Amino acid sequence: MPEVRLTSNKMIKVEDLQFQYPNSDVKTLKGLSFSIERGEVFGFLGPSGAGKSTAQKVLYKILQGYTGRIEIEGKDLKDWGKDYFSKIGVGFELPNHYLKLTGRENLALFGSFYPNSAIKDIRELFEMVELQDAMDKPVEAYSKGMKMRLNFIRAIQHNPDILFFDEPTSGLDPVNAQKIRNHILDLKANGKTIFVTTHSMHTADELCDRVSFIVDGELRATDSPQTLKDQYGKEEVRVELKSGEIKEFALPSIGENQAFIDFLKSGEVSHIHTLEASLDEVFIQITGQTLHV
Amino acid sequence: MKNIITLSVADFKLIFRDPSLRSFLGLPILLFALVIWLLPYLAQTYPGFEPYISVFMVVAAVENTQMFSFISSMVLIDEKENSVAQVYGVVPLSNSEYLLSRLAIPYLFTVCLNVILFIVQPFYHIGLIENISVSMLVGLIVPVYVIGINSIVKNRMQGMVYIKAFNLIVLAPIAAFFIPGKWEWIFGLLPSHWVFQSIQNLTNGEEVWMNLLIGFVFLMIMFLLLSRHFLKKHFN
Repeated sequence: MPEVRLTSNKMIKVEDLQFQYPNSDVKTLKGLSFSIERGEVFGFLGPSGAGKSTAQKVLYKILQGYTGRIEIEGKDLKDWGKDYFSKIGVGFELPNHYLKLTGRENLALFGSFYPNSAIKDIRELFEMVELQDAMDKPVEAYSKGMKMRLNFIRAIQHNPDILFFDEPTSGLDPVNAQKIRNHILDLKANGKTIFVTTHSMHTADELCDRVSFIVDGELRATDSPQTLKDQYGKEEVRVELKSGEIKEFALPSIGENQAFIDFLKSGEVSHIHTLEASLDEVFIQITGQTLHV
Repeated sequence: MKNIITLSVADFKLIFRDPSLRSFLGLPILLFALVIWLLPYLAQTYPGFEPYISVFMVVAAVENTQMFSFISSMVLIDEKENSVAQVYGVVPLSNSEYLLSRLAIPYLFTVCLNVILFIVQPFYHIGLIENISVSMLVGLIVPVYVIGINSIVKNRMQGMVYIKAFNLIVLAPIAAFFIPGKWEWIFGLLPSHWVFQSIQNLTNGEEVWMNLLIGFVFLMIMFLLLSRHFLKKHFN
């Protein structure tokens, strides 16, 4: 079972969350327990069909009929009224906009449901994701990447405290994916609580303070990416010479390791790299499954 | 109120920018032209036609509901198909506000069209109170139809098929006017039967309140049941 830290600064607390779709024979979520601190970026890392999106949908109240307990700022999720939706912002996995309306019209329409004082300037939002030249074009003329960026700014336009991002870099080219990751880190710097689901090791590694590995509706491990990598990787360095000879050396006190120094001098070095595990490798070790399913 | 106006403006933009929906806005003009010019001409030219004028008025009033029944159904189907409906599930808009925002204007528009239809038709003298009351009942076909269709279909293709089926169901009680004896009451199982009987009584100068009451209760119960089902599905 993953550790649930009990402090007073919890934004989201989930205990024994179970959920089964009405037309399914098996539970999609099988007793998840986790908590997210205020200002933390927390990630669910898992393959497709693991239950990542379902867990988020329960948390943003699209799916009802769960068992277990969910608290948002110490208040049961079931006791939150429609004011809950002013507190949260949701970045969906796939683009979902009115195709016949322009980007500006789409944003203004959904922004109109929030108090005016909370809404950010539309032009600034479009400039933030470099869509300002397309803001008055119908969304049907947007590429998938542009639509995803529109998803992103729609989620944050009312300045919510809690943000849910489902595969936030899906469909984006590497440059725009990096920009979105940077924007998410900016949101964290502004104190937002962020819950990300992803099957991208890179996204989880770069964004998340803590990640949970989720497989078949169960959490298998929860910790910071670095701790997980340290725990499952080797504190060693691998040296490869151009001659093809390879040796591994322990990292502690490597500067005083005479064997290491002698090996470096014995030929021309081709590569040196640490044997820290990637999150992908840690995931496989813990769950026995790959992320890219 | 602000939400109703905002969503109605957005809906009209969607309708005007979609040629397949925009063309349906012309339907009432065609219908009014038929009632004002063609029906009187037919009644004058073919005396055997006159007893059926009230049936044609029933069809005309119900056809007025079909414009927004089709348009609003397609707008909501598109919204579901493009997953925009999901976004409404995570904004501070209650279910009743959402339904009111999407259905109030089509309903009121349809009521107005029928009030005008009963005023401009040249065959019967109809009191304003009865006119407005019956038009309000006829207009209820729109929300029930839209919510009914959207409780079942998942995409535009399915929508087209079910819309044809729904049109048949709505118009089926017309047959009651041609069936002798008490068999006509079998159509009472369909809510539009009570709407048709109300219009028929209205045009014949007969008492309308009992049919109106049954029609309102029937359609409101259907609307409440269907909207529960619709709201469970639409935002997922």
